[in-house]
This record gives sequence, structure tokens and C-alpha cells, in this order.
Amino acid sequence: MDEQLSASTASPDQLPGQPPDRPPDQPSGRERPWRVAALANYFGLLAVLAALVALFSALCDHFLTLQTLATVANQIPDLTVIAVGMTLVMIAGGIDLSVGSVLALGAATLGVAMVQWQWPAWAAATLCVGVGLGCGLANGVITATWSIPSFIVTLGMLEIARGGAYWITDSQTMYIGSRIEGLAAPLPGLGVSVAFLLAVGIVLAGQFILSRTVLGRYLTAIGNNEQVVRYCGINPQPPRIAAFAIAGGLAALGGLFQASRLGSADSNAGVGLELAAIAAVVIGGASLMGGRGSAINSFLGVLIIRVLESGLAQLGATDATKRIVTGGVIVAAVIADACRQRLGDRPLCRTSRRATEPPEADLAPSEG
Amino acid sequence: MSNRLALSSAVSLAALALCALLVGCDRSRSPGSQTSPNTQASGPVTTPQIALIMKSLANEFFSTMAEGAKQHQAAHADQYRLLINGIKDERDLARQVGLVEEMIARRVDAIVIAPADSKALVSVLKRAQAVGITVVNIDNKLDDDVLREAGIRIPFVGPDNRAGARMVGEYLAGRLSPGDQVGVLEGIRTAFNAQQRRLGFEDAMNAAGMRIVDSQSAQWELDLGNRVASAMIGEHTGIKALLCSNDSMALGALAAIKAAGRSGQIFIVGFDNIAAIRAAIRDGAVLATADQHADRLAVYGIEYALQQIAVAASPPGSSTADQPALEDRQTPVELITAESLSEPDDSR
Repeated sequence: MDEQLSASTASPDQLPGQPPDRPPDQPSGRERPWRVAALANYFGLLAVLAALVALFSALCDHFLTLQTLATVANQIPDLTVIAVGMTLVMIAGGIDLSVGSVLALGAATLGVAMVQWQWPAWAAATLCVGVGLGCGLANGVITATWSIPSFIVTLGMLEIARGGAYWITDSQTMYIGSRIEGLAAPLPGLGVSVAFLLAVGIVLAGQFILSRTVLGRYLTAIGNNEQVVRYCGINPQPPRIAAFAIAGGLAALGGLFQASRLGSADSNAGVGLELAAIAAVVIGGASLMGGRGSAINSFLGVLIIRVLESGLAQLGATDATKRIVTGGVIVAAVIADACRQRLGDRPLCRTSRRATEPPEADLAPSEG
Repeated sequence: MSNRLALSSAVSLAALALCALLVGCDRSRSPGSQTSPNTQASGPVTTPQIALIMKSLANEFFSTMAEGAKQHQAAHADQYRLLINGIKDERDLARQVGLVEEMIARRVDAIVIAPADSKALVSVLKRAQAVGITVVNIDNKLDDDVLREAGIRIPFVGPDNRAGARMVGEYLAGRLSPGDQVGVLEGIRTAFNAQQRRLGFEDAMNAAGMRIVDSQSAQWELDLGNRVASAMIGEHTGIKALLCSNDSMALGALAAIKAAGRSGQIFIVGFDNIAAIRAAIRDGAVLATADQHADRLAVYGIEYALQQIAVAASPPGSSTADQPALEDRQTPVELITAESLSEPDDSR
């Protein structure tokens, strides 16, 4: 990847003698305050989630059962990993509209490799994720090299990847059958699937990247104030490209999870999924302007969206009700988040406005 | 800076070359293409030109339909020329109206159309008829009331979805006992064929005394079908069968039942007979589906249009408007089960 990175436009900004393997400031003693804030944030979303579960448990006969909860858990790995990728991209101030199509392209590649070429599952899965990484890398490199808004670049990729999925499958649903269902089958005694456990692992890894690694700090800093990052002698393009590449790879991984759950690869899969992912990430408190977000909160956002959907389906709600209620909950969750921020974040906001000061307080993700 | 300029122009050129390559490939393969003007048409310029306007060619059902039409044209290249167009998204009405307008401007001889909406296409098709273009409606029937209001007649050539769904439902009822609970997964509720299939399922279930405990739309989609089916069998634990309005949703329901550990306890039926469902039917995981012979559907419409053009051409001086033969034609729907799939002659 480094070849592409060195070709990016921002290299003149990089100060000589400043190795980019350390953030400009790594405040070791500053972790407690934001951790407390993040905990408060978890509680807010957890309360919404608990309220939804309580509501549906009261309204449905069989909502609060292990079976239902396990079913919901096993249905979310695809959206979960996509939301983690979207969080990374959005923290850096970008957006990735292509994730739904890349999911379909990944699943389609998997289906073609397993059904038509008779590849073993591991090889097909590797190819699937590789294709997604490639799409994400293309998104990132194009966005960074020509400084084009990621909105339009990924909108193009949305069409290209969807077309690719139709092309390689001849628009047919590929029935893969039981060879990959092990990934999505509930583990005996546990109820949840391997895919769910992997997705939770990826959420934790995403949170670790954001809060404890150089890459995460850079992404947050870029989203807060890219100019300052450049003044600090950091080339903002490599982290940005990495975020898009990860998002693409995770979208294809979502395709693998979905194909294993459905036993088939559908070239029409994931239409509109990017909006569900963006909604989940924003419900989780991320800012569309960048600089703020958390993988764990995005995961809670995914849970809220999917629990709501599942509960409404169990109620037998009409399409109209489903859409109106879902939209209402998204808006309400974001309003609640905005109110909480206004109450809790005033001092932080004031600090970050002084652009000449290194935005150390803002480097921590998810302080929301 | 000049480096960047050179780089960007190189990339643009490469992208253009790639596009050209893709289009070239598409011409030769073309099931996924949006527009494929027929290049093999070798007949004289006087052969009638027929425009086939489809819904999304990304949908397996419609791409099969288009493929069948292409093969038919290739076999009858001396009789007509074919122009196939589809829209990107099943709900993109505006684009389909635009396509009809473009075909009017091209002065094709006939338009064979699978309307994306039963009502919204009527006025533009009226304009097509007004300039003397033969219009045949396939797949999704235009609304009778709107046609009457517009004062036109457009013949419908296509399957009876309600009868087809009833046939599938009756086969399922043979495996159930009266009073059993069943659930229905519907298509997009505004679509005529979705409504007809739901009514057909309901006809069969009510006649056999089954209890429909839940009926929801899963928008024709595999993944949504999976999630709605999961919720349905989670809430109604006594459910014995799921009737799905297309095969994609049936595959989703199948995965939901497997994930819930209730394989073999809940019957599934679908509709359309897509390639992916046949393996599941052979395994006994899905009970039955219905085949409307998608590969023949557009051909039936084209044959009908050719007849109309011939009738219009034969008596000199008469106008096309008052030809007597504008009647609907029903195309066959076939029940597909494990037994019918095992018959050797049934591999279509």
C-alpha cells in the first residue's frame, strides 16, 4: 500500500525528520475524562435499547425469549462490521456510500468462486474480502489523490460495484448451500453464531484502533481539523486511504456473513444498506462532519435499528408503520444525542475552536 | 503539477478504455446490459421494429425474459428487429416513461412493455397508440379502471398470478391439516402481481380452512425475507407453513427456519422457479414453486404484437384503432415440485 501512499498529493506538507509513527501528542494521563464521557454515552444508547426491548416484550408474545434475541444477534454481523468501517471513514470526515454495493459484489464473488469455479470456502472468502479491500482502496486513493469529496467518489463506486455484481452473476441468485453456513449457524449451547462473535471482535478491534492506536488518533484529528494536522507535519492521506480500504474490506466481509446466513449470494443484496449503516453510526453519536464517533456506540446503533425492525416485524406492523416508526426513532435518537452533547460538552467545544492549539482534547474518539 | 495532470489524464484514458472494453464484452454477452440494440438484425429496413421495455434487467426474472426474446429474434431475424431496454430500479417509473417517449420518437412499430406501475404508464402508452404504434402489455397488467378512463384498450399477454398462487397454495394445503397456522410473505404491496399472488395464497388457504396468522411484505428481497420470516416464526411458534410471493423471499425464509433449528417442521412455497430454488426443492427443503415460463413471456407478447402489425398492414386503408382482435391472452403457469423436477423432460 505504501507505494500509493507516497504518491498522494500531501507529501510536500510532511515536515522532514518527523516520522509519522507517533502522533504529535499522546496524552497518557488524559484517558479518564473521556472514558467517563464514553461510558455515559453507552448508558444513553443502552437505555434506548432497553426501552425498545421492554416495549416489544410487552407488545409481543414471544419477543423476550432467548430464541428471538439469538436470532437478532445472528442477523446483525453484516451491518455491524459495515458500521465499524463507516465509523472509521466518518471520523476522518469522509463518507462511504458504496458499502451496500461492495457487500453485494463481495457476496457475488464468493458465490461465483464457490459455485462456478468450485473453489474451497477459505479461498473464496479470501477473494471476497480482497475484492472489497480493492474497492475501498480505490475509493481512498481517488479521494486522496485528486482531493475529491468522498461522497461523489463512493457514489460512483456504488454504481460500479453493483454493476460488477450483476455482471459476474448474470443477475442470478447463486445458491451456495451448506458449505458456508457454518459461519452463521448458531453455536450449540451458545445460541449465537461464529459470525456474530467475529463481528463483536471487529467492533472491539475498531474501538481499539480508534482510541489506542496512532491510526485512530490521526483519523480523529483529521476529522477535527485537517489543517492543523498538516501543520503538525502529518500527511493526512495515508490514514484516510487506510480508513476507506478497511471500510471496503469490512463491507465485503459483511457480504460473506450475509451469504453464509442466507446460504445464497444475491446480486441485489444490500441496496440502501449504506443508509442503514450511516443511521447506525450517527445514532451512535458520530458526527457527519467528522472528528467524533466510536465503534462500540455504532454497534449499539446497529442493535437499536435491528431490534426495532425485528420487533415491528414480530408485531406484524404494516410497511407504512415500519417506515414511519423507524424514521422517527432515528431522528429522536439523534436529537437526544444532540441535547446530551450540548449539556455535557461545552468546555471541549471551546477548546477545539482555538485552531492554533493542537487539538489534543479532540484526539480522543467518542468523547461525544 | 504537470505530473499530476499527466497522471490524471492517463487515468481518465485508462478508465475510458476500460469502459469501451466493458461495453464491447457486453455486446457479446449482454444479459446484464441495460440497452442492447440488436446488431444481428440483417433483414431489410422494412421489417418491423419492436421495442421491448422491461423493468430492471438486473432482476433474474426479467433478464431471463429478455434472453428468451433475444433468442426468438435471432431465430426470426427476417421478421422483425428488436430493441431491448430496461430500467435500473424496479421503482424508477420516470425512467420507464422516458423510455416509452424515446421509443415513440424513434417511431418503432410496436412497444411490448412490462410496466413498472399499473397506472402511471397508461397516459404515455396512450400517446404511443395515438401515433399508430402497436402496444402490448406483458407481465404486470395495466389497471382496467385507468385504461377505461383514458379511453384506450391495451391487450394484456401474461400469466394469471392469482391462479398460479392458488395452485401452489392448494398443493401446500394437501400437506397441512385444517386449522393449521400459516404466514404469508408478500412482495411490494403496490405491485399488481404482489397483490394477485397474496390473494391467490389467501384463496387456497381459506378454502382449505387454514389460519393465516401473519402476512407482511418483504419487498421481494432475500435478506429482508430472511429477517421478516425470522420474526414471524419467532412470534407465532405454531406456524406450519410460509407462503412466499417469490423465490428470493422463499430462500430467505428457508435460511430463517434453519437458523431457528426448525428445519423440516415448516413448509415453504415460493413463486417464479428461479435457478437457485430448484436445488432446495430437490432436497425437499422447499415444497413447491410456480413457473410462469419467464423465457417465453416476452416472446408471447412479441408474437402478439407481430400479429397486430400484420393485421394492421393487410387491409389497406383501415385504421389500426378499430381492429377487432384486441383481447387479453393468458399464458401458462406451471406447478413445480420435487416430482416435476425429477421428470427428465422438464429441464427448461
